[in-house]
Amino acid sequence: MDEPADGRRRPGAFARAWAKAVAGTSYLPMTHAQLEALLQRLTDELAEALRTEPLDVRAGYRVGGELVAAHIASAEGLGRTVEVLQLRLVRDLGLVADDLDDRMARLLAAVATGYARALRDRTLDEQESIRRANLAARAEAERALRASEARFRHQATHDPLTDLPNRKLFADRLAAAVYEPQRKDHRIGLCFLDVDRFKRVNDSYGHQAGDRVLIAMAHRLRRAVEDHLVARLGGDAFVILVKCCTGTGDVVAVAEAALAALAEPTVVDGHEVTLTASVGIVERQVAGASPDELMRAADSTLHWAKAAGGARWELYDAERDGRELARQALSAAIPAGLERGEFYLDYQPLTSLHDGSLLGVEALVRWRHPQLGVLRPDRFIGLAEETGLIVPLGAWVLAEACREAGSWTSATGDLPFVSVNLAVRQVHRPGLVQEVSGVLRRSGLPPRRLQLEITESTMMNTAEEPVLALRALADLGVRIAIDDFGTGYSNLAYLRDLPVTGLKVAGEFVRGLRTPGAHADERILASLVSLAHALDLTVTAEGVETGGQAERLRAIGCDAGQGWHFGRPAPAERFLANLR
Amino acid sequence: MQRPVWAPEDIDTERPSVARMYDYYLGGSHNFAVDRAAARAMMEAVPEAPLMAQANRAFLRRVVHYLIDQGVRQFLDIGSGIPTVGNVHEIAQRAAPDARVVYVDVDPVAVAHSREILAGDERATVIQEDLRHPDRILAHPEVRRLLDFSQPVAVLVVAVLHFVSDDDRPGDQLRTLRDALAPGSHLVLSQASDEGRDETQRAEAEQVYRRTDNPLWVRGRAEMTAFFDGFELVEPGVVWVPQWRPETAESAENAEQAVFLGGVGRLGG
Repeated sequence: MDEPADGRRRPGAFARAWAKAVAGTSYLPMTHAQLEALLQRLTDELAEALRTEPLDVRAGYRVGGELVAAHIASAEGLGRTVEVLQLRLVRDLGLVADDLDDRMARLLAAVATGYARALRDRTLDEQESIRRANLAARAEAERALRASEARFRHQATHDPLTDLPNRKLFADRLAAAVYEPQRKDHRIGLCFLDVDRFKRVNDSYGHQAGDRVLIAMAHRLRRAVEDHLVARLGGDAFVILVKCCTGTGDVVAVAEAALAALAEPTVVDGHEVTLTASVGIVERQVAGASPDELMRAADSTLHWAKAAGGARWELYDAERDGRELARQALSAAIPAGLERGEFYLDYQPLTSLHDGSLLGVEALVRWRHPQLGVLRPDRFIGLAEETGLIVPLGAWVLAEACREAGSWTSATGDLPFVSVNLAVRQVHRPGLVQEVSGVLRRSGLPPRRLQLEITESTMMNTAEEPVLALRALADLGVRIAIDDFGTGYSNLAYLRDLPVTGLKVAGEFVRGLRTPGAHADERILASLVSLAHALDLTVTAEGVETGGQAERLRAIGCDAGQGWHFGRPAPAERFLANLR
Repeated sequence: MQRPVWAPEDIDTERPSVARMYDYYLGGSHNFAVDRAAARAMMEAVPEAPLMAQANRAFLRRVVHYLIDQGVRQFLDIGSGIPTVGNVHEIAQRAAPDARVVYVDVDPVAVAHSREILAGDERATVIQEDLRHPDRILAHPEVRRLLDFSQPVAVLVVAVLHFVSDDDRPGDQLRTLRDALAPGSHLVLSQASDEGRDETQRAEAEQVYRRTDNPLWVRGRAEMTAFFDGFELVEPGVVWVPQWRPETAESAENAEQAVFLGGVGRLGG
């Protein structure tokens, strides 16, 4: 259709009339001049056919098809073409022949046939093409949907920072490994891994650098234990699932490979950083295992590795875990025990070595546990100190001891002081002075009848507040004694600075007095006593079990004794009876 | 079932597509029954609809020739539809074989069809994107591969803006495109106008297009001219499309029947 207009003679009157007739019947993607040139060529072809004997109707088919190909392809386009050919072709071209009407009719029929055939073919082709496009678009949409679903699933089951499987995916895989029926006879292993002191990286180089280190570590871990599933649980904690193992050796090997991979130095912002990690390993038979229990056990074991200093693996120990679980359960029961009044106090006398009189009593807490029976403080005080529950428990002991002591009466009017242990946390808490003075006010106990026992370790750190608090308490008239003196960090400096009124010497020095010829303990005790007396402090010996020990202590100049020889811990009534 | 937000759009051949309706107006058969029904309803309301499409297509052809004459060799045709008869790459590449064309359309079927037509043409491609996200169009790797934005580019937004509501801030979208263009680039716009139309016809036409995904949003000459912000309008400015540099005097007669206003702007500097 791109016939150059100058290649042939100018379009004649007929071609121009034809162009005018079909213009606007449909969109023609060409200029008017190009249309006229095209129709001139078709006109020549038709004229040639009309002149040729015999008439070749194929020229008509061809012209019909070319019209459609040139997009003169509408019902109106055909109608106008038939009209203009019939009306003007013979006349405008001055054609002469006997059977012209007949030939013209046959040629027109051929043009219309060729046209209709081409238009039908084109329509079918276009329909097929648009349907194919529709299918392709559907397939594309489906593919995009699958891809976004896959992306979404991946995001839901992977850690965005390291692209490792996340906790959820790990939990699913672990559950599958534990609950697959055919795996009952297998063994399974877990490695809980945590980078030691990772916070330092974040603190020193910033969180972005920290993230880069985590990405590097994740990459190394994955490479080091390829065969096993590695997931990031969050922070710097990772977990490895060893699905098939023959014994602890296999899992230990995995843990060692992981530790070795992480031990390589990492470069952070140009600095070489060497990090270590700790691993808690659990390995057991699949039968009877539960995913939650495996995770918990591995986590506990990881904490053992951390507590042992890190940079190591630890193997799960059911007995140790059982003990710790029991301790935890006991510790968790303390608040409820306090609320239900399961705690009570016994008292142990502090007796004068000079005249055998009762100087004071030490309050000792007991727990009447509903299942375990009466528990002595060594079963739960350590736990309470670890968890911070010592603060409410200690407060209860202090208040209860003061309340009871405030209610005691004697025939002579001489009443013993009550000695209460203060834990490190209690001494370091702000508000100690208000607490003690409040308790004294409420109980009506005179301050001089309260002695607070603190340990040497309480004074290990030289913070100023505890010293100020103790001084304020001493100013109130409260006695302050150093408990277990001589066994810890016996810094004599604080004896100079603190408002201490007495020392309690640990029982192990006293025990030495039993053995004839154990002169070292006796000399230490003698020196302690003379040192204390030089500083105007009283000395109480703990753990006095025999009359002989009591006699030696008296001879050395020790002021008071405490121990079985003088009386075991017992309810207040026991010694109160002697006072009446 | 509600489709999740992250899922791509579905192909819905139960709804008429404006791209396939346009193909029908142009005499094509790249359309489904639902498109033909909607197109016939449109022709009931506005009998000139096919003429409008033809006039608009002829405008596009004249513009592409004009741009080739101006030395432009890169074309970004946004809202290209079903590029069948008289598509830009055929017109442009016939006149200048080195011309490069990127078609953009939101209609996934139109895109799939274009992809088939363009198979084997190294200088033409198609992407599925929306005029309402010009940043994504400009950043698309196929666009970046084929078009060099340090050289003049003709951005064609032909018979599209009446499917973009004012809420979608077409002015802002065009400005974003403009800011990516080098001096000597062109912006070509045409869109349906309600100038000289009676209220009934307009309402009926809007009714038809409400059934499609693209309701109709007609505009006047002043609004059209404002879209050329930053461009110098090429003579004769914003006119009824048959009046834009017509080939013959008579082809520009009764131009307002074409319903489409069109114009070309050139980026100076």
